[in-house]
Amino acid sequence: MTHPMVKNLKSMFKPIAVKQQDERRIMLNVPKDSLMSVLIFLKNSGYAHLGLISCVDRIADNKFELVYIVSAYVEEDVDDSMKATFVVSTFVSRKDPRFITCIPVFINAEPYERELHELYGIVFEGHPRLTPLLLEREYPIPPMRKDFDSRAYVEEVFDTVPFVDQEDDS
Amino acid sequence: MRELELYYGPQHLGMVGNFSITLKVQGDRIVKADANPGYLHRGFEKLMELRTWMQNFPLVCRINVVEPDHIELVYAMGVERLAGIEVPERAKFIRSIYCELARVASHLFGLWAYANMLGFDTAAQWAMYHRDLLLDLFEELTGARVYHIYIRPGGVRRDFPRGFEQKIVSTLHAIGGKVPDYNSLFFENRLFKKRAKGVGTLTREEAMNMGGVGHTLKATGMKYDIRKIEPYAAYDRVDWDVPVYTGGDAWSRLLAIRDEMIESVHMIFKLLDTMPAKGSVCTKTPNPFKWNIPAGEAYVRCESSRGELGLYIVSDGGDKPYRVHFRTPSYSHGLTILEHALQGENIADVGNIMISLYVVAPEIDR
Amino acid sequence: MAHTSYINPFKAVKNLFIKPKTLCYPFTLKEPALRYRGFHTNDWDTCTGCGNCADICPNQAIEMKEIAELISHPEQGLKNERPLLDYGRCCFCGLCVDICPPGSLSLTRDYFHIHFDTGTFTFFPKNEASDSEHFKKADEYSVLKASLTHRKQDFQGFAPDLEYALFQPGRAEMRQVPAEKRVLSFIEQVLGYSREEAVEEASRCLGCRLCEEACPAHLKISDYITAIADGLPEESLRVIYQDNPLPAICGRICMKHCEDACSLRIRGDALAIRWLKRFAADTVKQYQKALEQEPGAATGKKVAVIGAGPGGLSLGYFLRLQGHEVHVYDRLDGGGGTLRTGPPAYRLPVDVIDRDVEYIASLGVNFTFNTEIGKDKKFGNLMKQYDAVFIAPGATQSFSTRVPNAEKCSLALDFLKDNKIGNARAIGKEVIVIGGGNVAMDVARESVRLQHMQHPGQNTVTKIVCLESGEELPASKEEIEEAEEEGIEFHTGWGPHRVMLDGQDCVSGLECRKVKSVFDKKGRFAPEFYEYQKTTVPADMIIEAIGQRPDFSFMGEYEKKLTFTERRKVHVDDNGMTSIPGLFAGGDIVNINLDAVTAIADAKRAAAGIDAFLKK
Repeated sequence: MTHPMVKNLKSMFKPIAVKQQDERRIMLNVPKDSLMSVLIFLKNSGYAHLGLISCVDRIADNKFELVYIVSAYVEEDVDDSMKATFVVSTFVSRKDPRFITCIPVFINAEPYERELHELYGIVFEGHPRLTPLLLEREYPIPPMRKDFDSRAYVEEVFDTVPFVDQEDDS
Repeated sequence: MRELELYYGPQHLGMVGNFSITLKVQGDRIVKADANPGYLHRGFEKLMELRTWMQNFPLVCRINVVEPDHIELVYAMGVERLAGIEVPERAKFIRSIYCELARVASHLFGLWAYANMLGFDTAAQWAMYHRDLLLDLFEELTGARVYHIYIRPGGVRRDFPRGFEQKIVSTLHAIGGKVPDYNSLFFENRLFKKRAKGVGTLTREEAMNMGGVGHTLKATGMKYDIRKIEPYAAYDRVDWDVPVYTGGDAWSRLLAIRDEMIESVHMIFKLLDTMPAKGSVCTKTPNPFKWNIPAGEAYVRCESSRGELGLYIVSDGGDKPYRVHFRTPSYSHGLTILEHALQGENIADVGNIMISLYVVAPEIDR
Repeated sequence: MAHTSYINPFKAVKNLFIKPKTLCYPFTLKEPALRYRGFHTNDWDTCTGCGNCADICPNQAIEMKEIAELISHPEQGLKNERPLLDYGRCCFCGLCVDICPPGSLSLTRDYFHIHFDTGTFTFFPKNEASDSEHFKKADEYSVLKASLTHRKQDFQGFAPDLEYALFQPGRAEMRQVPAEKRVLSFIEQVLGYSREEAVEEASRCLGCRLCEEACPAHLKISDYITAIADGLPEESLRVIYQDNPLPAICGRICMKHCEDACSLRIRGDALAIRWLKRFAADTVKQYQKALEQEPGAATGKKVAVIGAGPGGLSLGYFLRLQGHEVHVYDRLDGGGGTLRTGPPAYRLPVDVIDRDVEYIASLGVNFTFNTEIGKDKKFGNLMKQYDAVFIAPGATQSFSTRVPNAEKCSLALDFLKDNKIGNARAIGKEVIVIGGGNVAMDVARESVRLQHMQHPGQNTVTKIVCLESGEELPASKEEIEEAEEEGIEFHTGWGPHRVMLDGQDCVSGLECRKVKSVFDKKGRFAPEFYEYQKTTVPADMIIEAIGQRPDFSFMGEYEKKLTFTERRKVHVDDNGMTSIPGLFAGGDIVNINLDAVTAIADAKRAAAGIDAFLKK
């Protein structure tokens, strides 16, 4: 059964790619210029809970896919359509990844964007503090990117813990 | 007054887990708080991209040290959704019972942490002891006390051993029988009320805006529970209720935790009664060396003891996950809500607020 | 709620009389649960060295190491490697226990190890049976001394359980024509896998490669099975053709040494490698397009091959890829050699043979059929005209029991050949087949079919009479089982003594003596009989299927220059060359396995030898 929001989204935002996985999950893909408007529209329609901001490194397409997951704060006895979750994604360039912050829309986006800046190197314009959150040292490239080989990095920077067959008798 | 910068660092009597907060204080009052996570960043999301689907599930439970079971559940649910695998009936019930036991154990751990921080060792040790009884149950069922590695994509790893249902019932009676003592010792204690009432107050709007979930939201009067909104496993087969309080302060949060624990115990009894007596507990999954899952993405969520735990998982058609991202409840509690709630509070209440919010550091750092 | 109470605090006094819950460790111990995931044990007698535990460990904590004291038996699927555990990496998840196909790896309830030397945390797990000094009885065990070298006996924890194993023990069933239907004609018995069944079966493979070491031709089995599981039968065929140019034939009649070594066979069904090879060969319609093979650059050298059996065909294929000119001679009217005349049509139809032979011919191998060397052409001329000669004539002469009136009996090889490519023999209503090997089974099962076709609705029976009984029968188990399903009577443990004739000089029965023993103490074939325990088995036709031997008379004066091993096989060196320079040999005259895939392996060896010989 098509979710009632799908029709509204398709008519108000063009272009938009909508895929409904099942009654509770709707995947949207929008160009990056309309992402903020989509988020504001969803928030005003009652989906005011930002669950997660994530990023997928689509290295084959030379893009980063930013994913925003919003759902609604609802109690049990409410219309089924309000219990859906929207996974909104957009593509930004991989060479110079920049995007605007969505803190004005969702306050709790702040640490998510800070983490993505640190791990992927995406700059969120307007973010109050893009300082390191989780990592303690500098890495040659942001470490969650697909071209960062973590095993090779460990062998280079630290003495490797040899595999079992290389143990010498001590 | 002069403004000092203090490190409420990773080694502190009021701190649970490796987490630190930089406090700017004027006298005894906090002007600004900056949370510093990152002491436990182990890079799980990168590690999981290098291991196959089946090799990942022993790794996943280590993300949250205190309560590994819901993370195992959410990873298995994510893989099952991507691969289109159905879990057998009995396995769903076993998963629910297992997760509820984990919830009780985790809340007892939280109770230990809070009472310990307050300096109330008696209640703390009681809670630890009762948690130990539950860890014995887990050891009997899965083979390990803390990192159970029990839920795998397709179902669970082994069925209940013989006589396990009786053991669950007797352990829960032993714990439940102590609840009046807990109440008179701790929850109705005047000192606890004085310490916890009015501390770290959040209104419902504030909590919702800042991404609060779980008991933080239930303490403001909102019945937001993923087990009711998006039932998974066997939660829609039994009758149960979501306890709420309306204070929004540390006292309400602790009472919400206590009531959730008691509700979980009742739920386990009901689940044991309705569980199918026989049946397979695991759907056969493909050969672990040759298992390729078609390309796609999925977002699954469950209600862990701290709140909404979600997993965003992406597959590119290969034998390893392409992207794994856990949405942990302590992330917004520990980073956004904590910094807001600490403003204007005393230094002595930092641990009070943090542990009542149930911030668990390994969940933030992954 | 909290009103002042002077009584409440005194309620705490009752706790004075409650026993403390703390365990006085180490005086009171906590017993670990029955499923505890502690240290490993490994049963070295059951462990096959397959290495699946090392492949699945998420932390790469297991490494397979060669053990000098153990001996590999590749034909039984046993490797002389055992897992070495590194407890610095192990997380005790138990995935290795769940994937272990023999179920030899297990976890116990020991979990203490305290030592200054970190080298001790890396060890070969053994078990109580093989390492008794480290596993102590209850009265000798002390938890204060507990370590990897001081463990408790009988302390099993998380054990392997076939119901929850991570591999699939059951095989995708192969559809076959049921016995009551298949005896009515020579219809092919095995129906073959569909695409879904093939992918399902191929996905069971764990990739341990024990099969590759057992295969006499060392095909890259794991690679071509993976190709089938990925839905790429053309790729699978390409891998097979690197070592075996007869996939359609071998996919039907191979002796499947690989399946006898498969690690899944121990607690389940072996992977159906032979049927999967058949699937790859049958599914690809155009071999030339899928394989894209070209003969090598012409070298100008010519090689003669005598015998177009599996040995000769494969040699022609391998040499042609090197660019040499190959001429294959055979006295039958098509390729396949003994495969063309021997295995009945219900196991190996002639058009299947022709399919594989045609592909080899399409590469430029020249075939001259209906030509018998020694009669139509002189062997000595071939030795002079060609730069090298390869003989794989096979064993073409049937043995006879030579009991009185044995000349009234038919011989197995002629019987099978006539039924397959000549005119079907007239079959009696009560037929005895003497012999207990696979050829005797072929003869008996053909006899049953001919009886149903030539005497429909009448009472007919085929009986097997052989010296061996029970486990001694040399025929494969599945042949004996299928023969019994088709209604063949087995009279085992009887030795033929005399063929009985009736008034019209026709066969009426076989007089037999009871066998005392077949082999002597040294295991040599030396049957002994109870002279006075006799029986006469009635019959109107007797076929002797007691063995076959090669005939070297076609070689003329070269025959006496051949040297033989002590098992009466032609002696060849590591390059496949006989004692006669320039003469190479392979197949049943050289090896003791006496099957097609070993002939192909001989041919591959000889092809390398001939190539080196011709380049000199």
